[in-house]
Amino acid sequence: MAVVGKAVKRKEDPRLITGEARYLEDIYLHGMTHIAILRSPHAHANIVSINSERAAAVPGVIGVFTGQDFMDVNPLPCPWPAGGVDNNLNTPRALEVEKVTHVGAGVAVVVAEDRATAQDAVELVDVEWEVLPAVTDAEEATFDGAPQLHENAPNNVCMEWDCGDQGGTDAALAASDVVVRQRLRNQRLIPTPMETRGCIAQHEAVNGEYTIWMTSQAPHVHRLLFTAFIFGVPENKVRVISPQIGGGFGAKIFMYPEYVLTTALSKKVGRPVKWVETRSENYIATTHGRDHVTDVEVGANRDGTITGLKVRTYANLGGTLSTVAPGIPTTLYGRMLSGAYKLPNIYCHVTGVYTNTGMVDAYRGAGRPEATYVVERAVDLVASELGLDPVDVRRKNFVPADSFPYEPSDNLLNGLSYDSGNYDKALDMALEMTGYEDFRAEQAAARAEGRLLGIGLSTYIEICGIAPSAWMFGEGWGAALWESANVRMHITGDVVVTSGSQSHGQGHETSIAQLVADELGVSMDQVHVQHSDTLGTPFGYGTYGSRSTAVGGVAVWRSLQRIKEKARAIAAHEFEADVEDVEYVVNDEGVGIVQVKGAPDKSKVVGEFMGIATSAAGGWDLPGDMEPFLDETAYYDPPDCTYPFGTHICIVEVDAETGNVEIKRYIAVDDVGKVINPMIVDGQVHGGIAQGVAQALWEGAQYDENGQLISGSMMDYAIPRADLLPSFELGRTETPSPNNPLGVKGAGETGTIAATPAVVNAVVDALSHLNVRHIDMPLTPSRVWETIQSRSNGGNS
Amino acid sequence: MKLEGTYLFRETREQVWSTLMDPAAISSAIPGVEEFVPLEGEEYAWRAIAKVSMAAVSGRFAGQVHMSEIQPPTRYRLTVSGEGQGSIISGSVVMRLEEKEGGGTALHWDAEANISGKLARIGQRLIKAAANMMSKRFFGNLARQIRAPA
Repeated sequence: MAVVGKAVKRKEDPRLITGEARYLEDIYLHGMTHIAILRSPHAHANIVSINSERAAAVPGVIGVFTGQDFMDVNPLPCPWPAGGVDNNLNTPRALEVEKVTHVGAGVAVVVAEDRATAQDAVELVDVEWEVLPAVTDAEEATFDGAPQLHENAPNNVCMEWDCGDQGGTDAALAASDVVVRQRLRNQRLIPTPMETRGCIAQHEAVNGEYTIWMTSQAPHVHRLLFTAFIFGVPENKVRVISPQIGGGFGAKIFMYPEYVLTTALSKKVGRPVKWVETRSENYIATTHGRDHVTDVEVGANRDGTITGLKVRTYANLGGTLSTVAPGIPTTLYGRMLSGAYKLPNIYCHVTGVYTNTGMVDAYRGAGRPEATYVVERAVDLVASELGLDPVDVRRKNFVPADSFPYEPSDNLLNGLSYDSGNYDKALDMALEMTGYEDFRAEQAAARAEGRLLGIGLSTYIEICGIAPSAWMFGEGWGAALWESANVRMHITGDVVVTSGSQSHGQGHETSIAQLVADELGVSMDQVHVQHSDTLGTPFGYGTYGSRSTAVGGVAVWRSLQRIKEKARAIAAHEFEADVEDVEYVVNDEGVGIVQVKGAPDKSKVVGEFMGIATSAAGGWDLPGDMEPFLDETAYYDPPDCTYPFGTHICIVEVDAETGNVEIKRYIAVDDVGKVINPMIVDGQVHGGIAQGVAQALWEGAQYDENGQLISGSMMDYAIPRADLLPSFELGRTETPSPNNPLGVKGAGETGTIAATPAVVNAVVDALSHLNVRHIDMPLTPSRVWETIQSRSNGGNS
Repeated sequence: MKLEGTYLFRETREQVWSTLMDPAAISSAIPGVEEFVPLEGEEYAWRAIAKVSMAAVSGRFAGQVHMSEIQPPTRYRLTVSGEGQGSIISGSVVMRLEEKEGGGTALHWDAEANISGKLARIGQRLIKAAANMMSKRFFGNLARQIRAPA
């Protein structure tokens, strides 16, 4: 009756489907006030003066504040500077004081009795600006003469970081039969969760305690940043609660100025303060993702063996740094550039750059989609240059299944190793599902009729379960990344799990319950998973990097082992047996029993009233000095990350007349290690593919030359719709990770990491007979049409 | 952003020019204008408030209008700066009058506009269309005034 591995329906869905779930906007407190923030309309400007008289005079306005009123609050921290190098750090304040470096930076705030009054009054705050020239492109920002954003960052450079072996790679490229060079733009994306951000803060003057409800993927990390870094108060003065969250994709990990502002105001006005981001604000004030300009050089021999990969990237970080901004395009990008391949020489140099644009930070996949895009495009460029099948080039360079653990060359992973994998197996399955050879015949026939079909592969890997604390510390991360969990079995046998991890769509309440149900032999209904409130959950670093199961789940598993040991000891005492002779088994009905080996009459159910749960909770007759209750907390800090992999294959048809790309089929074979709930994994893969396809074909933040975001609404910024996507064909191989006792790897980001290059490779394949080698994303109809036109007229590039 | 267009008047160049130089005529031709008063101590400069609807942004904009580079009866420049609805508009338009063969006058206008804030984010795609519509209304209103008995 095991439930692990079964598509159990999600425990959280009834409340979500019926509308009973409580989101931040649903929370109202007595005496609550509301705020509206005056945001800079300019991308780069000095604040000359602010006059709030007219706004303050509006009936219903409680107060108007500017940055000067919050000088006692520290600037926001950046706890993940790029590792091992100097970083010129510039982070935002609750409200900016002297100058703004991007459209949307807050400079004043109105507190009012209701939201509408606040929003009306904020338009009456008069700001005198001295407008400065702006720069939005990361590479251009480093040129001499470009507008300078920060005094401590000459040429707008935040940091220069590299990894791998420059000299060895240069030599390898020089000795290669061919070297292919290509500039790749990984355009800026806007995460666009269904629920925007928000915060409600309440301050109790008598004891100086803050309670903060906020849209957080990492409540404990937010509390840590509030206490140790921003307000300088101890942990017991701040409680962070993350209510139901309507999507985060990374953007809700970070500390933002508005959270600090709302919290500081709750003390200033002595009443609860609520801020809910409008959709329009979300476009300019919530972090964006990606935005790389990369020059890739890849060397190969005629047989398709890749000899070296050299990558030069300008990473746009925005006007100021978000919480982990420098860590994303360095550690999570450069260290992944070996992909699924045994590359003998690798070098990557990254320049992190300030520009007059919104802050850029982790967005689903975070660094790893950018890396996968470079690697998977590079492999296709080699195939195209040598006239080889991209499948063959991949196979030729794969890390062989018998080489794990595999450490990429040139100390690329700084001491870590790929845990396990069988890349050929996933590729074989995907090719089989696709009917690859048949498709190539169909493609040739279609081309003869003037129809443009294309196929693209992405044989990706990921780095997930981001954790090893000591390793991350060496990478510049200023904290740890272990997880913890507490498991309590109550007197009736019900089990409560509290986790420092946080669920905003991942289904923790179901997956963790499945784990507990199987391990302890209780029903799913008996297990309650609680999270997202720093009061009553053990510390954890939160949900991102596909780490909740691979790290947080293992902490739960460890607690369960301790519960089982204790249950055995109690049973041994009751049966007057030696503890070594007592075993904890889950019977065919899925009921957990402790029994004396070989003596079936000496057995007792654990998780029921009057079972071992009651013996333990009652504590009337326990062995020796044993403490009552089955209540165990465990921490887990893994030895390495996990390395999921797979093959995604996309088939497209390009309309030669309009340039429109239609996705005909999408096949995804993912290996995420051991699967706890295949339905939840499928759901994660579906959503990820949709986001990855959207980057390839439609999405893209656009700034004009003055730094104005001109794609700042749902009318102007494309997000994927279901009708634009085919039904995905999913397959799975299962290669357990040896790095944790569950064998899990992580499944939250595979889609966004794998899908983007599969789609671009497919479109380029469809146009390969026109000598098209590359098109930059997004592959909108106009861009594809222009490419077809330029080639049909004998052009070349 | 650059915008341009041509509007044809049936009237003579002198008639069009004198209307273009008449603040009252200009004021009442601006769509949605609510206030248009001379700036103290300045010739050819006005303070203006207009109600504007452009894409999803609608409401009052307050600002200033300056007339310069006046070359009767052929050309002048209007410089406009306005603020409102979390947006800032600045720019200028050069209007040139040309006599048409067989009568009538062609007014060519070349504008350059910078738009910041909310209007830039949610209206950019529609601004050209909206600006063309508003200019048609502006010149249409002017034409009606020329024809109207004084």
